[in-house]
Amino acid sequence: MFLNPYYLQIGSFIAINALLGLGVYVTLSTGQLSLGSAGFMGIGAYTSAILTARYNYSIPVGVVFGALAAALSGVLIAIPSLRLRGVYLAIVTLGFGEILRVAFIRLENLTGGAIGFPGIPKLGGTILERLKASSAGARIFSSMNGNALESLLVFAILLCITLMSAAFFALQANSRVGRAFSSIEMDETAAESMGINVYYYKVLSFTQGAFVSGLAGALYGHVASYVSPADFTYHRAVEILVYAILGGAGQVMGPLVGASILTTLPEVLRFMSGYRHVLYGAIIVLSMIYRPQGLIDSETSDWLRKVFRRKRFIDGGVK
Amino acid sequence: MLAEQLINGLTLGSIYALIAIGYTLVFGVLDIINMAHGEIFMFGAFAGMLMSMKLGAPLPVAFLGSVALTAAMGYVLELLALRPLRRPSGNMEGNAGLSTLISTIGVAIILENLSLKLFGAENQPFRTSFGNVKFTIGPVNIYLIQIVILLASGVLICGLALWLKRSRSGRALRATAESPETAALMGVDTKKIITTAVVTASAMAGTAGVLVAMSFSNVGTRMGVSMGLKGLAIIVFGGMGSVNGALVGGIILGMAETLVVAYGDSGYRDAIAFVIIIGVLLLKPKGLFGQNAS
Repeated sequence: MFLNPYYLQIGSFIAINALLGLGVYVTLSTGQLSLGSAGFMGIGAYTSAILTARYNYSIPVGVVFGALAAALSGVLIAIPSLRLRGVYLAIVTLGFGEILRVAFIRLENLTGGAIGFPGIPKLGGTILERLKASSAGARIFSSMNGNALESLLVFAILLCITLMSAAFFALQANSRVGRAFSSIEMDETAAESMGINVYYYKVLSFTQGAFVSGLAGALYGHVASYVSPADFTYHRAVEILVYAILGGAGQVMGPLVGASILTTLPEVLRFMSGYRHVLYGAIIVLSMIYRPQGLIDSETSDWLRKVFRRKRFIDGGVK
Repeated sequence: MLAEQLINGLTLGSIYALIAIGYTLVFGVLDIINMAHGEIFMFGAFAGMLMSMKLGAPLPVAFLGSVALTAAMGYVLELLALRPLRRPSGNMEGNAGLSTLISTIGVAIILENLSLKLFGAENQPFRTSFGNVKFTIGPVNIYLIQIVILLASGVLICGLALWLKRSRSGRALRATAESPETAALMGVDTKKIITTAVVTASAMAGTAGVLVAMSFSNVGTRMGVSMGLKGLAIIVFGGMGSVNGALVGGIILGMAETLVVAYGDSGYRDAIAFVIIIGVLLLKPKGLFGQNAS
C-alpha cells in the first residue's frame, strides 16, 4: 500500500508543491505579492537540467546551482521592483514569468524550445544505481520491487528537503529576521523608523522565495525527467499562489496544508472525470468564502502546536 | 504599408482598451483584479460565434445575446464569488483583498474548464457575411470589419466615459471608487454600484469578445487567458482605475504588437506587453495615469 508508486508520486508532487507554496509564503511575509514563482521554478529546472544532462554534473550540484540561479534572478527582479506595491508587483512578476516563458520557447538550442527538454537524469534512478553498486545495499534491496523503491526514495528525499525548508522558515519567523519581516508587512514606514533596513529585508524575503521556487523547479525536473515551457505558465504561477493563500499564508504550515489538499484534490475527484477541475475551482471559491484567512490561521496553528508539543515536533514538522 | 499597419494596430488597440476598461472598472470599486475577466470575454466570443454560426442569428442579435450572457455572468460572479467575501468586519487575518483575488481565480478555473467541456479545445472558425468587404483609399485597404470594430469600441468607450462623468450613477460609481465608506455615508447604495460596475465590465468584455472573434475570424478557449494577461498589462501600464490610462495603454500596446509582428520577430509578440510595462513601471511605479500619492 505505502509502496504503491502512484501514491508515492502524488506524495512527491505534494512535497514539491509545498516547497513552491513556501516560496510564496516567505515573499508574502514582507507583504510582497509575487506571481513569479513559475518563472523562478523554470529557471531552476532548466539550469539544473542543462548542467546535468549536457555537462554531466551530478544531480546535487545541478539542483544547488538551479536554486542559486533562481535566487540571483530574484535579486535582479527584487531591487528594481522595490518601489512597486500590491497588485503592481503581482502583475510585474507575472509579466516576468511570461517573458521567461517566451524566452524558454525561443532559446531553442539551450532549452529545446517548445518541444521541451527530455532526458533529464532521474533522481531515483541515479540513487538506486549507487545503492545497487554497494554490496550492502544490493542485499537489502534485492528483494524489493525496483520501481516502488525508486518512488519511495524520491519521496523520502523530497519530503526531507521540504520539511527542512519548512523548519528553516519556522525558525526564521521567530528570529530577528522574521520579526523584521512581519514589522515590514504591518507597516513599512513604522518599521523603517524603528531602524529596520526595509530594502534589505524586502530583497532578502523575495530572494528566499525565488531560491525555494528554483529549488522546487530543479527537483521537479529530476523527478519528471522532462520539462517544457508549458510547465511554467501563468496557470502554474496562479496555482502556486492558491496553495499558499488557501492553506493560510500567515503560517509556515499553511502552504504545506494547502499544497497537500490541492495536489490530492484532482486525484480524489477523478470520478468526476471532465468536470473535476470545475469542482476544483468551486472548492477554491467556497473555501475563500468560508475561510478567507486560509485554512490554517494563528489559532489553528497554536492549537496544533499544543497537540504536538509532547511529541517535540517543531511547527514546520507537522503535516 | 505603414498606414495599413497603423490601422491594424488601432483596431487591435481599441479591443484591448475595451478589455482593460473592464478590469479598471472593477478595480476602481473593489480594489481587486478580477482574474475571471478574461474567461468572461472568451465566453462572450463563443456566445456570439455560436449564435451567429449555429443558430443563424443576424450579427446585431448575436451581439446583444452575447452582451446579455456576459452581463448575466458578471452578475452571478458578483453574487456568488465577490459579495460573500465582503464582510463589514470579522476575522480578517492578513490581506483581505487576497481572498477575493483567489476567489476570482477559482471562478476563472471553473469557467476555463467548463468552456473546454462545452466548446472543445480546438479553435473554431467564425465567418461573417462581410468578412472580406474592403475599401481602397489610395494605396490603403480598410476592411469593413475594422470600421465596425473601431466604431463599436469608440461608441462604447465614449458612452462609458460620459456616463461616468455626467450621470448620477456614474458619479456615484466614482465616489465609491474614491472611498466606499464615505460614499455610503453620503447615501450611495454601494452594493448596487459595485454590482453595476461588475456587470458593466463583464458586458464590455462580452462585446470585446465578439469583436475579437470577428477580427480574428476564429475563436478558441485559450484566448481568455492571453487576452486577460494583456488586459492586466495595460491597466498596470496606464494606471489602475484610470479609464484614460486603459484607453491609451490599449492603443499603444495594439500598435506596438502590430508593428513588431510586421517588421520584427512575431515569436516575441506575447512578451511585448510585459516588456513595455516593466519598463514603464520602473520609471513611474503607479503607471502613466496613476495617482502618485499612495
